[in-house]
Amino acid sequence: MNNPIIALLGNPNVGKTSLFNRITKLNQKVGNYPGITVEKREGSLTANNKTYKIIDLPGTYTLFPNSLDEEVVFNILVDQKNKFKPNLIVVVGEPSNLKRSIILYQQARELGLPAIFVINMIDEAKTKGIQIDIPKLEVLLKTKVYQTNARTGAGIDKLIAAFDAVPPLYIGNFDIPADYALAVGEAKKLFPLENEYSTWQYLAKGNVEFLSDEKNAALEDIRKNHKLTPQILQKQESVQRNKNLEQALSTIVSKDIDSKSVTNGIDKILLHPILGYLIFFGVLFLIFQGIYNWSGPAMDFIDTQFADLAAYVQSTLPAGPLPDLLSNGIIKGIGGIVIFVPQIVILYIFISLMEETGYMSRVVFLMDRWLRPFGLNGKSVIPLISGVACAVPAVMSARNIENSKERLVTMLVTPFMTCSARLPIYIVIIGLVIPDTKFLGFNIQGMILFALYILGILAALGSAWLLNKIIKTKHKSFLIFELPTYKFPDWKNLFLNVWDKSSSFVFGAGKIILAISVILWALGSFGPGDKFNNAEEIVKQNNPTLSDEDLDHEISSYKVEHSYLGYLGMVIEPIVEPLGYDWKMGIGLISSFAAREVFVGTMATVYSIGDDADIEDDASKRTILSKMKAEVNRNTGLPAYNLASGVSLLLFYAFAMQCMSTIAIVKKETASWKWTLIQVGFMTGLAYIAALIAYQALK
Amino acid sequence: MRDKSSLDKLKKGQRAIIVDLNSNDIPAKFYEMGFLPGTEIEVKHIAPLNGPICLNIIASNSLIAIRKSEAKVIIIDPK
Repeated sequence: MNNPIIALLGNPNVGKTSLFNRITKLNQKVGNYPGITVEKREGSLTANNKTYKIIDLPGTYTLFPNSLDEEVVFNILVDQKNKFKPNLIVVVGEPSNLKRSIILYQQARELGLPAIFVINMIDEAKTKGIQIDIPKLEVLLKTKVYQTNARTGAGIDKLIAAFDAVPPLYIGNFDIPADYALAVGEAKKLFPLENEYSTWQYLAKGNVEFLSDEKNAALEDIRKNHKLTPQILQKQESVQRNKNLEQALSTIVSKDIDSKSVTNGIDKILLHPILGYLIFFGVLFLIFQGIYNWSGPAMDFIDTQFADLAAYVQSTLPAGPLPDLLSNGIIKGIGGIVIFVPQIVILYIFISLMEETGYMSRVVFLMDRWLRPFGLNGKSVIPLISGVACAVPAVMSARNIENSKERLVTMLVTPFMTCSARLPIYIVIIGLVIPDTKFLGFNIQGMILFALYILGILAALGSAWLLNKIIKTKHKSFLIFELPTYKFPDWKNLFLNVWDKSSSFVFGAGKIILAISVILWALGSFGPGDKFNNAEEIVKQNNPTLSDEDLDHEISSYKVEHSYLGYLGMVIEPIVEPLGYDWKMGIGLISSFAAREVFVGTMATVYSIGDDADIEDDASKRTILSKMKAEVNRNTGLPAYNLASGVSLLLFYAFAMQCMSTIAIVKKETASWKWTLIQVGFMTGLAYIAALIAYQALK
Repeated sequence: MRDKSSLDKLKKGQRAIIVDLNSNDIPAKFYEMGFLPGTEIEVKHIAPLNGPICLNIIASNSLIAIRKSEAKVIIIDPK
């Protein structure tokens, strides 16, 4: 065979990914399985005179899936037509939990799949005082057993040399219990070509994705006739296998009774009922600080680089629509994507560190009780926290929540968390409408900003509570997870993870942001009629005394007003008027639906100060602020940014779903336009109502 | 021998043997992760205010956390 497929199968926390990195020598790519968004890690290896395709399957405890990740494993291994169906499965285990890995191995073998067995993290056998009789284990498993340590690379070559192994015929030791023989016999007629154990697996699983609807219905009928549920069958298999293995392994694995472990000592502090929470909030605080403070210089650098590049392109290429598209549409669009990379990198360094060391599951343990009343799960903590940086990676991180309802609710409410794109808008508007004074010794502006973050959390939890009442599910909510022993992070894994996440943001979400900025550019750069096309002369005539620089600003402002974007703003003015906005703010809102951060740039263009406005820079912040402060809403005759319209705008931005990338990622992750549109409608509707009430009450 | 009890009643540091899982609603994942009749466990940590409990499965020395609501249906024989 040309490119044999080797699949790595194993429980979570057995060092499978480190092993994968070793085998592929980092020659790998990360994508998605077709149609679903479970991460697919695929690599290649040239050895034994051929090129192997290596697949790192998501970590799973069982072939009976409880989560999306586990479903993929089942489909790849059992579906005869799956194009990733492996030629050899490498089942990866670790010394302290051999039994669990062996069950996975037996299930694979009994489905008729060729497999070999690897004990990874073999160094831990010594430190934990575990002795394994390898020859005896090989007899039990009817295959070669390899020992590796993926962190040092020990044993990898031997394992690779075995990739062409043809394991001997395997006869299962799972006996279909007599009580169910009749049911399995009936089911067998549906699958004449498959073995008894495959049939049992189909029967013991709820709905098998790759089987036809008729076969699934027939299986359901059989279960109904015999009064069986998948749970009962799965329990039966699990209990029987564990019992058999317990006996078999008692002569193979022996253990010195455990000394006090380091993990237990650390957990006494990190899981302490009071200290544990204090430390967790300390870690959160550090992450916030990291995202806001450490990313500043890198973001400024990226910003100047792209501004310089745009200016360079503008000055070297002849004037015209195409060079303008390149400099103002494309380069600035890409700049708008890349500028978030530092924050995403910092966030993911923290998240990967928490995952690699084993701390993340402690956070789940601490937080489950506080999220459960809202219909969320301890595991929802990760998306919610990540949402403070950016909802795009945050929504993706909801994948490991088993319960489909909790997963859906988590994804739907995560965009309420105050993401970093809202921050520039908050800063500008707070600066405009909230007095810079102290109350009880605290700066009021800072307190309002803090209140907006709290508001985001409350909106997320409140709507989770509401969704929890509305969405019905037949799956009972449960939580079970392992707390792995603490480990030093594998830096290679950490680096790869951060790289994957940031590059998938740039290339995935980036495409959409780029497209939107090109559309916005086009709408802002073209306009109907004379007023747009002869803007230069008209402005010159009206303002004969202006200096050249001011004249340029005035012209670009006049152009925006009479561009398609400007007319669009005026069309929606009646809709935003009750919220206290004029057409210029309307344009800001429209363009914000691409991405919130566009607001400040658009406002800058509309208020004619050139669109290089960089709010990190104090001088230009003052110019936007002073321009915006002087602006008068022509409908009311009042300053455009007064307390009422400002608060209304803040609330609108706090709630509205104004991010194309998030919409795209939610569609991808929920695989449902229905929920995506409900989310957009709900968030934006809530934003409109909240802004309306605030404006009408305060004006 | 003392009376049978359920897992949620154990205090931190107590050990017990699992007798049965008294519900059909419990997903098979519980068995796969080691909650099987005859297994010895020790309560290691309890999150405050009815939060999850963290158990050490003695034989494999692994730490597993579950909610109180599921612990309620796990019948045990305290040591």
